[in-house]
Amino acid sequence: MRKLSLTSILSQLLLLIFVIIWIIPTFGLFISSLRDKDLLSISGWWTSLTTTEINEIHRMLGMEYQIQENNYYIIKGSIFEGNTGKKITSFGITSKKINEFSLGEIATFKDNSEVTIDENGNYVWKSKTEFTKKKGKRLFTTSLSPPSFTFDNYKEVLFKEGIGRAFINTLAVALPSTLIPLIICSFFAYALTWMKFFGRDTLLALIIASLVVPLQMSLIPILTIYNDFGALFGVAAKSYPGVWMAHTGFGLASTTFLLRNFLKSLPNEMMEAAKVDGASHYDIFLKIILPLSIPAFASIFILQFLWCWNDLLVGLVFLDQVPSEIILTAKLKELLGSRGENWEILTTGAFVSMTVPLFIFFALQRYFIRGLVSGSVKG
Amino acid sequence: MNKLIKILLATITSSFLSFSAFAGGHYTGPDLSGQKVVMFGPWLSPEQEIMREVGAIFEKATGATFEYGGSDSFEQQVMIDLKAGSAADLVVFPQPGLAANAAAMGGLVPLGDDIKQMVLDNYAAGQSWIDLSTYADENGKDQFNAIFFRTNVKSLVWYSPDNFEDNGYEVPTTMEDLIALSDQMVADGNTPWCIGLGSGAATGWPATDWMEDIMLRTHTPDVYDMWVSNEMPFNDPRVLEAMDVFGSFALNDDYVNGGSKAVATTDFRDAPNGLFTSPAECMMHRQASFIPAFFPEGVEAGVDYDFFYFPAFSTKDLGTPVLGAGTLVGATNDNPATLEFIRFLMHPEPHEYWMAKGGFLTPHKGVDGSKYASDTFRKLGEILTGATTFRFDASDLMPGAIGAGSFWTGMVDYTNGKSAKEVADGIQASWDAIK
Repeated sequence: MRKLSLTSILSQLLLLIFVIIWIIPTFGLFISSLRDKDLLSISGWWTSLTTTEINEIHRMLGMEYQIQENNYYIIKGSIFEGNTGKKITSFGITSKKINEFSLGEIATFKDNSEVTIDENGNYVWKSKTEFTKKKGKRLFTTSLSPPSFTFDNYKEVLFKEGIGRAFINTLAVALPSTLIPLIICSFFAYALTWMKFFGRDTLLALIIASLVVPLQMSLIPILTIYNDFGALFGVAAKSYPGVWMAHTGFGLASTTFLLRNFLKSLPNEMMEAAKVDGASHYDIFLKIILPLSIPAFASIFILQFLWCWNDLLVGLVFLDQVPSEIILTAKLKELLGSRGENWEILTTGAFVSMTVPLFIFFALQRYFIRGLVSGSVKG
Repeated sequence: MNKLIKILLATITSSFLSFSAFAGGHYTGPDLSGQKVVMFGPWLSPEQEIMREVGAIFEKATGATFEYGGSDSFEQQVMIDLKAGSAADLVVFPQPGLAANAAAMGGLVPLGDDIKQMVLDNYAAGQSWIDLSTYADENGKDQFNAIFFRTNVKSLVWYSPDNFEDNGYEVPTTMEDLIALSDQMVADGNTPWCIGLGSGAATGWPATDWMEDIMLRTHTPDVYDMWVSNEMPFNDPRVLEAMDVFGSFALNDDYVNGGSKAVATTDFRDAPNGLFTSPAECMMHRQASFIPAFFPEGVEAGVDYDFFYFPAFSTKDLGTPVLGAGTLVGATNDNPATLEFIRFLMHPEPHEYWMAKGGFLTPHKGVDGSKYASDTFRKLGEILTGATTFRFDASDLMPGAIGAGSFWTGMVDYTNGKSAKEVADGIQASWDAIK
């Protein structure tokens, strides 16, 4: 057995700590997205396996439910709908003392009506005089809720809140926005690397220079061009083709640059041998370059796809914010505003949006790391 | 301006007094099959669902398709769209100041005389609404650019009648009583107020409503009008005085749920929830008539919540002022379907549909008053008829850079501890910069 040195133990420990720090937020988000929404709103995800105390206000039924029994007018009902597993520990009848009474005690209202409640939330409210209000009085309950996990949040978010539709919209934006620049940049990078033509170096310099132009600066000019362009063909300026072109344009410089760096590292002798054998540029590209650069394509695909998937700004500017076009990040931002108090919706929505990046990361991890270091390490 | 706003009092009030005599039946429109109308506005859930349902009525009647999209960064996004010329067909402006900016950029089309006539005929005090939605275009020529759709009354305080009863509190009728009641609540161990200014890129606007309501309660309406037009500078001592009154509520840690630090970070849509928690996190919430749309599910008007008029000081002889506002719909192109949708919005049917959903007031004379969601909302009429002064939301009338810019951010700075003088100087400086 290899003897562990102190430094290696230390570095392993440090690594472990970093991994935990990085994973905790995602893990918490995941647990939160599976929790019951009432519990989620009052306690943190780390308490999800313990029993939680909940304070609630319930309104009892009104006059139309009263029955007469032994000189008493009685209203019976349950404050919980269905079996929630909650157990009431104490209750109150005014907002000032919400746990004034313990179970089994009789609470008396100002009008001398009396109420009792059992731990499952069934109450009996009786009075010597007839009830005359359409709505009953309020009961304040403190109950213990067992840990409760549910997929309801996902159902609600995917089908009711429109995240499901936004998910598909985002795919419809991200896939073409990744494939189109990938196809263009593969030809382009080949030409820049292995074809000799006038102004090649200037062109390369231009591409590198365009990398530093922030895309925020070009939003309004591009949208203006789209308007004129769209008017020519009678289509709306804000549309899927528009956003594909925008992503293609914004991504092309970096993808071309990355791929060119990779192609440059391929041995020159191979191309020359092929040329001697009579291969055209097209043959060389198709039969030699493409098979050799699959890893590079994969890593560029991952980078560009994740960029498009996580993008908010381009999607906000180049698409209408209507259900048929809104993308996932924009939808989440909208929910943050309109459903800010509904954490179960936000955590679930966020987790849905993370599924694709997570899947890509785990499935293509090898290429992902290569993509991050491409250009910096000559392969 | 002054006279114009006075008419507004009559305007909204009459909508409560109008009864089914005029009720308009169903909207019928021309055949617009194959055409599409896209609307963009600041309304998010739950209002955007209602707007889509209203749009569905239009779709059914004309065969056109309607789409609505909302954003809580509406103020920024609409400017990008308008500058590029790719805005949605219809734009919902939360305030006239912003619509005036859009018109000055040449982003809005004139709506034409027939729609103008519809406003004159159907809206109480129609001319005053037209004046509020007539702006100079890019050539400086005045054009009628937008119609008001959905108005609201701002001088309201929301509370839980049950919580008041449990604690033995009475609804206050003067500002002195309100302050005394707040102190009483603190003494009883309760928190009087829930205040939240958060609203995405529009964060801060609820505080401007507070300021305006207080301006109307500390100074005469003339001073208010001078403030709106900047004849009186923003850093005038009278404005600072109003800001300090607001501070006596919002900056008092005992008064506000979560303390004054929570004011700017609490979302305005979450703030009223404190009324409905067990135990109650706060007793009162000052907000406009649309806020019940954001109350928790299942609470009922008149039972679980109610409102009272944000009262005036009894020592200052200023009567009972009321603050109000409204959203406008403007068109960015003159496609037949786009303009037809505006005509559709002038029909009573969409008004009645939204009234039935709650949180909707309208100056439309043709609507059936019985369609209001509950008697509680009809009570708003009493507040309006009892008003001696009615003023339109000041921040909405100020130029966009102030009323949808430095005023908002200034009020956020104020609740975060900046002095009133510093804040007001900053806002005045930004006003000088655009003159």
